[in-house]
Amino acid sequence: MEFNVSTFALEILNFLVLIWVLQRLFYKPLLAIINARKQLITESLAKAKNHEQAAEQQLALYENRQQQWEHEKQQAMSVLQQQIEVERKLQFAQLKTDLEQERHRSQASLSLQQKEFQQRAEKQALENGAKFSALLLRQTVSSDLEQRLFILLLDKITTLPELLKQRLMISEAQPALPEIKVTSAYVISTEMRQHLEEKLTSLMNQPVQVQYDQDTDLIAGIRLDIGDWVLNANLKHELSGFAELAYVSK
Amino acid sequence: MENHLSFVLGPLVISPSIFTTWGIMGVIILFAWLSTRQLEISPKGLQTTVEAIVTVIDEAINEVAPEQGRQLLPFIATLWLFLIVANLVGLIPELHAPTSDLSVTSALAVLVFVSVHWFGIKTLGIKHYLQHYLTPSPILLPFHIISEFTRTLALAVRLFGNMMSLEMAAMLILLVAGFLAPIPILMLHIIEALVQAYIFGMLALIYLAGAMQSQQLNTKE
Repeated sequence: MEFNVSTFALEILNFLVLIWVLQRLFYKPLLAIINARKQLITESLAKAKNHEQAAEQQLALYENRQQQWEHEKQQAMSVLQQQIEVERKLQFAQLKTDLEQERHRSQASLSLQQKEFQQRAEKQALENGAKFSALLLRQTVSSDLEQRLFILLLDKITTLPELLKQRLMISEAQPALPEIKVTSAYVISTEMRQHLEEKLTSLMNQPVQVQYDQDTDLIAGIRLDIGDWVLNANLKHELSGFAELAYVSK
Repeated sequence: MENHLSFVLGPLVISPSIFTTWGIMGVIILFAWLSTRQLEISPKGLQTTVEAIVTVIDEAINEVAPEQGRQLLPFIATLWLFLIVANLVGLIPELHAPTSDLSVTSALAVLVFVSVHWFGIKTLGIKHYLQHYLTPSPILLPFHIISEFTRTLALAVRLFGNMMSLEMAAMLILLVAGFLAPIPILMLHIIEALVQAYIFGMLALIYLAGAMQSQQLNTKE
């Protein structure tokens, strides 16, 4: 409880020493390290802030670029749509043209087929008509008709064109006479044969050897073969000629 | 007891309070040295603790005197640390808190008194500093002077009275009531030790900051 001057003075001295020592040993290094840490944190925050700003700038740039890309994509899509539309129209027109051509070809082909079918049908009808006529004539013909057709043949021989006559005469100079074959539906009488041989001798200007044959398919009439030359005066040939003539005239 | 442990060194009488103060100083300095031997940017263990202590003190000072915080830190922080340890030393058997000695508390109060004028003059200059005794009116000069001395005396007596009375109360209860009865008083001692250390340090801080900042306000005006 007593006031002691020595204690008072020494306490002041002690405390000043304590302040001095702690200032050097404690506060100064601690505050220095705390300040260094704060500075480091501040720098780190500044760096982080800079990085954040840079990131935001990059983000803005990216978003802007993305918008540009989106815009360019839209434009490209629009151009592509237009090109697709044009191409579609072209392809559609081409397809339409091709279809039209194909349709025309099909119609032409169909009409050709119909025409061919019609022709075949007409030809078949004509042939059937000829067959029918042949069947009808086969039942109605006789040797009289044969004889009249023979006379007709003789007339034909007499009225052959001059060019043909000269050709048959030229064959006179040949070493071998052409084979002469006479085919008839009925048997030719001797008188008629003699008469025919005379006509041929007169035509070819030399005696001839004639081979006679019978073919009922001729219906009625005669077919004369002199080498490669044929002279028909029979109903089968006439009916076929009528059918072909009718077909050609169609 | 004090007379038995005191010895004379020339003109100086070394009292037990001075011995205890040296011991406290040794402990604080040793703790400071150990805790600041290997400081790192990333603190660990003891460094975290001492950094927290210094940071708390620094923030408390900055709240009162933001512009002069670093100037006042060594004095105020040392005052707080010393007073906390000195007040709590009384809990150790056979030891007395140096702050229960009026000579010690007077020395600390005088240091505060001198520091107030020292920092005031250092900050503002002697002319501007002395002017505040004449404001707002020179008539108040005697009151200012009386105030300076009375608040210093109050600082010293408050701390001394509280710490001495605590020790005395604990001793009396121990003598009267037996072994376990002083425990609540000892717990009260802990709280009182911390509170008194805080009050003394905070008052010193306020006096210092008041001296420095009031003159700054006058200078600005």
